[in-house]
Amino acid sequence: MEKLNKKYYDFIKTEDDWNKFVKKEKLLEYGIKPVRRAKIKGWAKFAFIVIRIYIAIMIVLIVLGFLHVL
Amino acid sequence: MEIFLPSVYNYSFYCITMNAGQLDNTGRYANSDTAKIPVDVNLKLDSLPQDIRLRAIDRLKIGSLRHSKSRMARMLLMFALIGPGILVMIADNDAGGVITYAQTGSIFGIGFFIPFMVLMIPVAYIVQEMTIRLAAVTRRGHAEMIWKRYGSFWGAFSLIDLLIANSLTLVTEFIGITFGMSIFGIKPIYAVIIGITFVLAITLTLRYHNWERASLVVAAFNIIFIPLVFFAHPNWLLVASSFGNWHVPSGFSTLFIYVLLANLGTTIAPWMLFFQQSSEVDKGTVPEDIKAGRRDTFIGACIMASVAIAILILTGTVVFNAHAVDATTVGYNISFILATISQKIGALPMKLFALGLIDAGLIATIAITASTSWAVGEAFGWPKSINLSFLTGRKFYIPGIASMFIAAIMVLIPDVPLGFLNLTVQVIASIFMPAAMLFLLLLVNDKEIMGIHVNGRIQNAAAVIIMGVLILMSGLYGISLVFPNMV
Repeated sequence: MEKLNKKYYDFIKTEDDWNKFVKKEKLLEYGIKPVRRAKIKGWAKFAFIVIRIYIAIMIVLIVLGFLHVL
Repeated sequence: MEIFLPSVYNYSFYCITMNAGQLDNTGRYANSDTAKIPVDVNLKLDSLPQDIRLRAIDRLKIGSLRHSKSRMARMLLMFALIGPGILVMIADNDAGGVITYAQTGSIFGIGFFIPFMVLMIPVAYIVQEMTIRLAAVTRRGHAEMIWKRYGSFWGAFSLIDLLIANSLTLVTEFIGITFGMSIFGIKPIYAVIIGITFVLAITLTLRYHNWERASLVVAAFNIIFIPLVFFAHPNWLLVASSFGNWHVPSGFSTLFIYVLLANLGTTIAPWMLFFQQSSEVDKGTVPEDIKAGRRDTFIGACIMASVAIAILILTGTVVFNAHAVDATTVGYNISFILATISQKIGALPMKLFALGLIDAGLIATIAITASTSWAVGEAFGWPKSINLSFLTGRKFYIPGIASMFIAAIMVLIPDVPLGFLNLTVQVIASIFMPAAMLFLLLLVNDKEIMGIHVNGRIQNAAAVIIMGVLILMSGLYGISLVFPNMV
């Protein structure tokens, strides 16, 4: 594999520097920290109800509209 | 010690062999006696998976620039950190957007829509800025966050909507590309082949950093519309007075509301949220880069509005009052607009406009294709990076490429109802936009995942107002498209 020129990593001299770099850049964190399912409560619960109603109304209107257009 | 990264990296070559002293899977150091052990960075890089290795190289270069105190290094750092924000904003001025702005200027002239486009700068910025923070903090794309945080129903809903909307938007891009090339005598079949080859060459042969730089070069051609204004010799006093005397032209007619909603719809689109978040993740954006990401997005929003205003001034000067057979978007279609430009200010500006239209279609195709690939990869937990070679990341590349091929073929089918397809994409976007916005707002207010980077009160107030207006407008737009007489 092509080697990286030293001028691009002159700030990394020790294992410790490398470890700090990997941690800061979150290079290996992907997939390690799981994302948990959110608990929907409060205003978010209300927002989800509104969005469901909005989607249902829009779908009905659009189906009617397309039937009209076709 | 060996760490097998779960889910997305369940390949044998993604098994990372780590030496004592490196991070363990909780992010802690396994051995603290590493402070003085010399490191061979190239050896470390070679032990990483292909996509992470290439990202690490990009980030090492950025780290090196950060450690340098010279003015040149600071300039290079600023240049290195721009990308997703400018790309998403310029790609938003896609073929459909260019046609919409041209029709708006042709129908309403210089006036209401010029200050309106200036207002769109903070609107686009506030919405897209949230995706930068989400990407930097979570290191995950929008599709993945919706899927994992709000469950498979909303995940699948968002993904299916995005895929349909993206595929149909690609049809409009190819319409722009084939129409633009027809001005230069290129037949649609050849125009489609040239377009596909161009996009494939950029997407499949370049790694993320080079893909981003190449895309920025393609995007830079979008600025072609700005010098075109000077061919038209506009009345600059009239342009300036549009800010001082901002009013709705001839009242709230159905046509005005339709055009207003079309302009709003073309400024903020669902794919933009998904694109920028995934692009920031692939670029390697971390919380330290949020400020640079904001600058990148703000510059992009200014360019987007400048190009839109240039098209409005050009067509508002040259085509406005040109007496089309029908004073609507049907009468002022792109053929009529280009013919009028050619007749009034010459063939060169008309050809430059056509070039701009082709470029708008190409840059949007590059961005939307990538957005589709990222979203599918995120939803199914596949490796997802433009740093992957085609052979390694074929699962990632194929959905985007397939949607591009389908769109290109649809444009070539004789008598395909393109108007109906365009209507469908706008309708889907009008259903999808409120849901996508809601998820964005929920995620950036989620302390569990955002920590100190959650939205502040002012950010939330601005976002809620913008989203409220967008939801209302999206709903009205969707209804107006299928029931034109209702609005």
